[in-house]
Amino acid sequence: MTILEVNHLKKIYTTRFTNQQVQALKNVSFRVDKGEYVAIMGESGSGKTTLLNILASLDKPTSGEVLLNGKNIVNIKEKEISSFRRNHLGFVFQDFNLLDTFSIKDNIFLPLVLSNINHKEMEKRIQPIAKKLKIENILSKYPYEVSGGQKQRAAVARALITNPELILADEPTGALDSKSSADLLQLFNDINDLGQTIVMVTHSSRAASHASRVLFIKDGEVFHSIYKGDSTNEQMYQKISDTLTLMATGGGEYGK
Amino acid sequence: MGNKYFYAKIAFENIKKNSKTYIPYILTVILNVGMFYIVHSLSQNKNIDLMIGADTIRYFLSMGNVIIAIFSFIFLFYTNSFLMKRRNKEFGLFNILGMEKRHILKIIALETLYIMFIGIIGGILSGILLDKLMYLCIGRMFQTKVILGFYISFDSIITTIILFSVIFFFIYLRSRIQIRLSNPTELLKSSSVGEKEPRTKWLSTIIGMISLFAGYYIAITTKNPLTAFGLFFVAVICVIIGTYLLFSSGSIALLKGLKKNKNYYYQSYHFISVSGMIYRMKQNAVGLANICVLCTMVLVMISSTISLWVGIDNMIDTKYPREIVTTISQPNVQKIRQLQSVINQTLEEKNAHKKDELTYTYLTFTALNMNGSYSTDTSYFNVTSLDKIENLFFLTLDEYQKINQDQKTLKDDEVLLYTNRGEYEYSTIKLFDHKYKIKEKLDDFINNGYMASDIATSQFIVVKDEKILNELYEKQKEVYQDKASKIRYYYGFNTDKNEQENKEIYNLLLRKMGKNEFNGSIESRSEEKGGFIGLFAGLLFLGIFLSVLFMIAAILIIYYKQISEGYEDKERFEIMQKVGMDQTLVKKSIRSQILTVFLLPPVVAGIHVIFAFSFVSKILEIFGLTNIRLYALTSFVCFIIFLMMYIMIYLLTAKSYYHIVKR
Repeated sequence: MTILEVNHLKKIYTTRFTNQQVQALKNVSFRVDKGEYVAIMGESGSGKTTLLNILASLDKPTSGEVLLNGKNIVNIKEKEISSFRRNHLGFVFQDFNLLDTFSIKDNIFLPLVLSNINHKEMEKRIQPIAKKLKIENILSKYPYEVSGGQKQRAAVARALITNPELILADEPTGALDSKSSADLLQLFNDINDLGQTIVMVTHSSRAASHASRVLFIKDGEVFHSIYKGDSTNEQMYQKISDTLTLMATGGGEYGK
Repeated sequence: MGNKYFYAKIAFENIKKNSKTYIPYILTVILNVGMFYIVHSLSQNKNIDLMIGADTIRYFLSMGNVIIAIFSFIFLFYTNSFLMKRRNKEFGLFNILGMEKRHILKIIALETLYIMFIGIIGGILSGILLDKLMYLCIGRMFQTKVILGFYISFDSIITTIILFSVIFFFIYLRSRIQIRLSNPTELLKSSSVGEKEPRTKWLSTIIGMISLFAGYYIAITTKNPLTAFGLFFVAVICVIIGTYLLFSSGSIALLKGLKKNKNYYYQSYHFISVSGMIYRMKQNAVGLANICVLCTMVLVMISSTISLWVGIDNMIDTKYPREIVTTISQPNVQKIRQLQSVINQTLEEKNAHKKDELTYTYLTFTALNMNGSYSTDTSYFNVTSLDKIENLFFLTLDEYQKINQDQKTLKDDEVLLYTNRGEYEYSTIKLFDHKYKIKEKLDDFINNGYMASDIATSQFIVVKDEKILNELYEKQKEVYQDKASKIRYYYGFNTDKNEQENKEIYNLLLRKMGKNEFNGSIESRSEEKGGFIGLFAGLLFLGIFLSVLFMIAAILIIYYKQISEGYEDKERFEIMQKVGMDQTLVKKSIRSQILTVFLLPPVVAGIHVIFAFSFVSKILEIFGLTNIRLYALTSFVCFIIFLMMYIMIYLLTAKSYYHIVKR
């Protein structure tokens, strides 16, 4: 079952001072099925962050459509956009985006509080998630008191607690050391195994090798995609590296 | 670039780089300096001597000086410490890049120096300017000449410079300690760390409570403001200390309580505002206490001076119940007749008719009330016995009956008594070795203006006849000798003419009485009114001037708070909006903040005003305003208007906060 459908997405930025037009996305189309774990790769400037922002409804495309469960999120009214984001999407950011004013627990509660959920319900929901993410004993601490890996797990908990249809992760391992990265990627696999759909933007081949499918974006278009199938992480890593090398050397015809 | 100027340049660049927070800070310094300068120069203004209650005004202004000095110290000290804390990352970076602590300290010293110079010079200049501006504005507003002329006080300039140099010296010391105690990695991290969640501080709560209630107690129990100025000042300081302590421990306890109440805390808008406030609890508390102190000053000043202004007619009527009042000393039948004929002649010339005539003969002198026995021993007259000094006013039964048309009788050793203030507690009254029995305590007396004109207690005593009155006269003459009072004849009346004509009658009468060499006095209500208004315009000027000044200060504090917090919160709100917070919720959470803490300062200020009420109304009595209800009403109206203005200001500044934090 398709959960996310992106059709002919195009995004043109106009720079503020020179009126010059920059094309960030030319023509992007792909689908994500329910329960899939998709990594989107590309170099800096390839348009992957723009794509993620549009998926996250933080930005609007110049043309094209994004269907989440069949609903075009491009047309959602400004007023409803925040609650839509809250109720249907979960976010994991590179720099965690946890608030220093809240304890870890309150940070995780934030999207629920914004949706006016009763605090007893919130307590009920956090227990299994905290247990799964092994953050039970840091719940009452503040973000500046815990390690980067713990922060990112807290951020994952915050993304999971609303039971979103889709988790969008933006370079989730970018600010982590290799051990924490490995833990987090394992965690993503675990939650994906439980049926959670994940779309992750990354430029780390290691991170992407955990995904069930990798999309490569170059010059504002989907350049290539590879499926993991039954391959191991190592094999997948090799495939990704090969593709990246080809992209860098300009083998545009590969696989087409 | 010479090495010599290297630090100077870095210091300058640092301020420039942090201008978003440093410009409001510098404005705050300028404001405090200007405020101190203005109040200090007002207290130095020689023209105050021309005002009614000059000593009282001067006293309050010098008290105001001390309060503003304390206020400035706390305010600037804390503002700076918050700014410095936020710059820790910067200092940590300097440190890591190879600057030693002493170099950093040098830069901080230079920065402090720059800010001090800009602040003091800017403050004094704007103080002088504002002084002149307000003088012109308010003078125009009331169309009367304000007797407090504009002038520049060099004394005040010097005092201001000294005070603020000292304050900045302490500010620098504080930064010094902060840098000395820190290590670079801590510095790098510390700006994101919230203020450590303070424990509810029982000690400071208790000290604050004691201090506050001591202040309240003194203010309520003070009977005579003349004797208790020093004590009142102690009360003010107590209340200020109590306010600061209770605001810090109180607001912290309040916020923690709110956080604990999960049904409240986990409401989206409370969630954001309460957590934000807890994050900078101490900073909040000091800011709120500052606002509260300013609010209190504004409320007391504006309501008391407006009461005086509104009450002018009332005061004049009480003090001069009749248009023209003449008195002559040592009256006899011939003198009285002569006076009456002069008056009749004058009125005839001016074609006027008199009405509401009141005449009587009386004796008045002062004595010490020693538990119902009046002492005339002048050696007891000193400051400590000041509130025992009472005016004694004697009238014969004959005159009393004539005026009040009643048939009371008295024996030789019996008197009737009326007390203008409070209750006379004894059943007898002892005067010069003679004890009189009080036959009756009167509810009312003749309305002759004497009751209002004095702050001291007056006993109005009706004696049996002229013989006793004369005896009393002779006895007090023995004691007081050349300072002794005389028996006087009072003749007061109204006319059917207007103010201007009454003034003419008064002047004519004055000339005639002078010609006839009466040993007496003459007063006219219309004539006195002009002087009264002039004097009170001066007071009102002071009241409005200082209120506006403190109001501006309060506004700037609120504004500063909003702006600086806005920049701090910008990132926070960005994250929350990413996670799914919408604009209406941003607005709602700002509004939630008003209800939780921003209404605290004016409300507490209102409570302070209530406790200061009895004291302030006694001060107003010195100025002649005995209408307590008028003062109460004015205070109430001022409070309501003030509260509305406060909320409006808050909402306006909240708007700029909103514009900063929204995406």
